[in-house]
Amino acid sequence: MANIDVGSIFKSIEDQSKALAEKLFKQYTRQAVNDAKDFLQKSKDDLKRWIEELARGDISVDEFESLVKGQADVAEMRALKQAGLGAVQIDTFTNGVLDIVVSAAFTAIKI
Amino acid sequence: MPSRRILSGQSPSKAEPVIFVRTLSSKGRIQVVTMPAKNKLAVNVKSVGSGNLIALSACMFLSACSLIAHYDQVAYEHATNAKVDTLALMSKATGSYNEHQKEVEALITQLDKAYEYDRGRQLNKITIAQWDILRDPNRDSVGGFLEMWKAKTSLSATFIAEKKRQIGDAFDQIIQLESGKLKPAKVTE
Repeated sequence: MANIDVGSIFKSIEDQSKALAEKLFKQYTRQAVNDAKDFLQKSKDDLKRWIEELARGDISVDEFESLVKGQADVAEMRALKQAGLGAVQIDTFTNGVLDIVVSAAFTAIKI
Repeated sequence: MPSRRILSGQSPSKAEPVIFVRTLSSKGRIQVVTMPAKNKLAVNVKSVGSGNLIALSACMFLSACSLIAHYDQVAYEHATNAKVDTLALMSKATGSYNEHQKEVEALITQLDKAYEYDRGRQLNKITIAQWDILRDPNRDSVGGFLEMWKAKTSLSATFIAEKKRQIGDAFDQIIQLESGKLKPAKVTE
């Protein structure tokens, strides 16, 4: 008859889940922050170039406005993408915790 | 006796089948049952405790719930094809809108098909919201560009080049989200 140390199973699950959360969410946060920084820098460069093109008469006022508003649309789509990728990370974490639970249970049952 | 089997496997130390069962017992609602290989009629039962069942059940429940749709190859191809075709048509906007009206209509239909495909998928509201921005003729992405072309009949080469960069970036947000979704193989692992 096997003696199951439930306390040790749950400690193992807790430790592994914590490590998984740290790995997944730190990585996601780093990527999201870098993505936002890149976008801001790119938008700054774009705006500078559009102002110059407007001043030279290469684009009209309407076209300039379309570009500026279009950049706001891209920013919104980018934010939606990050929200979606965040949801994917949560799903990944949930699946990972399930694997940890099953694995910890079978490791502990050494009959 | 057990009312429902929820997990099964083998003990790693001995080749004995092991199952977790949910029971109606008042003391512990989950039990580990081992079946000795030599005598399959004999069954050893260990109660684990109802508190632990809650945690285990929570994990099982969570694993069955996804927050977002899984990756879909067809949706990915719709988005990448639409990007290529949109940028190709935009290059023609220095010419008269009337000359390219049929191509514009074909592109709008292509975008509508991609949108409708994604709309039919479960847990896909975020991608739908992205398509809404991209297609809306009152905003300043693809829909707005086509409206502007129609209103002005032709557009400047500089503006088209800038807008192509921007709209390419907009499509990339849909494509990157789709490719970041969990692949079916990973979901079942």
